[in-house]
Amino acid sequence: MSEDIKEEMKKLREEIAKLKDQLRDVTERERKRSHGIYIDVGNRVRDYVEDVMESVAEGIHGELEKSIFIGPRGVRIIRRDEPPRHEEEVEVSFSKAAEVMSALGHEHRLRILKELISGGRYINELQEKLSEITASTLSSHLKVLEEAGLVVQEKVRGRYLITMPGRTAYKMATRITRFLERRDME
Amino acid sequence: MTWQNYQLDSTILKADEDMTLWQTEKGMIKIDKNTLAVPIKLAGRPKGFIFHGNSKLLLDTIVETQEGAIGKPVEKEMNEPFLMLGETKEIPQHLTPAGKEDLTNIGYKNEQEFIAKADDLCCKFFREGKTHVHQCFDEDQSFIFAFPNKAGKLDILVAKGSKLVYKAMDRVFVSDKNKVVLKTPKEVILSSNRRSFVIKK
Repeated sequence: MSEDIKEEMKKLREEIAKLKDQLRDVTERERKRSHGIYIDVGNRVRDYVEDVMESVAEGIHGELEKSIFIGPRGVRIIRRDEPPRHEEEVEVSFSKAAEVMSALGHEHRLRILKELISGGRYINELQEKLSEITASTLSSHLKVLEEAGLVVQEKVRGRYLITMPGRTAYKMATRITRFLERRDME
Repeated sequence: MTWQNYQLDSTILKADEDMTLWQTEKGMIKIDKNTLAVPIKLAGRPKGFIFHGNSKLLLDTIVETQEGAIGKPVEKEMNEPFLMLGETKEIPQHLTPAGKEDLTNIGYKNEQEFIAKADDLCCKFFREGKTHVHQCFDEDQSFIFAFPNKAGKLDILVAKGSKLVYKAMDRVFVSDKNKVVLKTPKEVILSSNRRSFVIKK
């Protein structure tokens, strides 16, 4: 009985040695093929990676269902079921907004704002640049712009300056115009 | 009464014509004809005045930035007496003794009433306001103005050449050539050659 066991143990040792040699050969072949480190992740790990890839794919598909806004400050993703953030946070005075829009609503006033973008101007300098506008009309346009807060006049030197809101309003007007012109061309 | 060696004179004068007390690119203080004036003296020499009459302060507390101008100008009609210290060389030439009618036109019953009000303003400026006026403050183009405000305190304007500091209830404005700082209750704006920082509170 003990002889049988000894014989069996010998066979097993030989078998293990063969398997070790085979494993060494396989590892060496894979190392040469990949020119790097070979790690056998096994089937379970492969299945897990596949699951992760599938959920990522679902996530990307879900994001595409949402609205994407690309603006000057970067990209913003808005869910369809949530209201735009600015509507939630800012309450706008429509009468003030109408006043600003009304002040912008004249070609001459937009041209005055354009002249003021590059720096403060005395009324005679504006008159020189905008010679087709009469002096009295120019004064009344400046008054409208001043009342809307788009322009401010210095009390001592008398120069007219475009304000921060004035610059923003002018930019907004030109952007909308550019957008509409581009759309018409398409 | 004496404050830091400054003394209020007892002679009441009036402007015999419209005058500009101070003017730069940024600001201006004007007084109309018949504005009352009482001299403030240091070692017997006039170093300033308390004025009361039709007078106006104009100050462009505006900061020009690349994103547009920020701030509003100050345009203030002075209904209360205000103090001026500084270059006074030419002012006495345009002042003549005031009569009773000049005082009543401004709303005073007599000389004592105006002197008492001028005295109160000096007290507030030199003592309550803890303002220390250096004795060397007699250079050309240097001015200090103090105007009573609605809160019962003083708005102060200090100017030397093109440099100016204005401290009022709602704003602090500092300007030196192209460098400007404006502090309002909502923001602080620092600007140098149109390059600016805006710090929102």
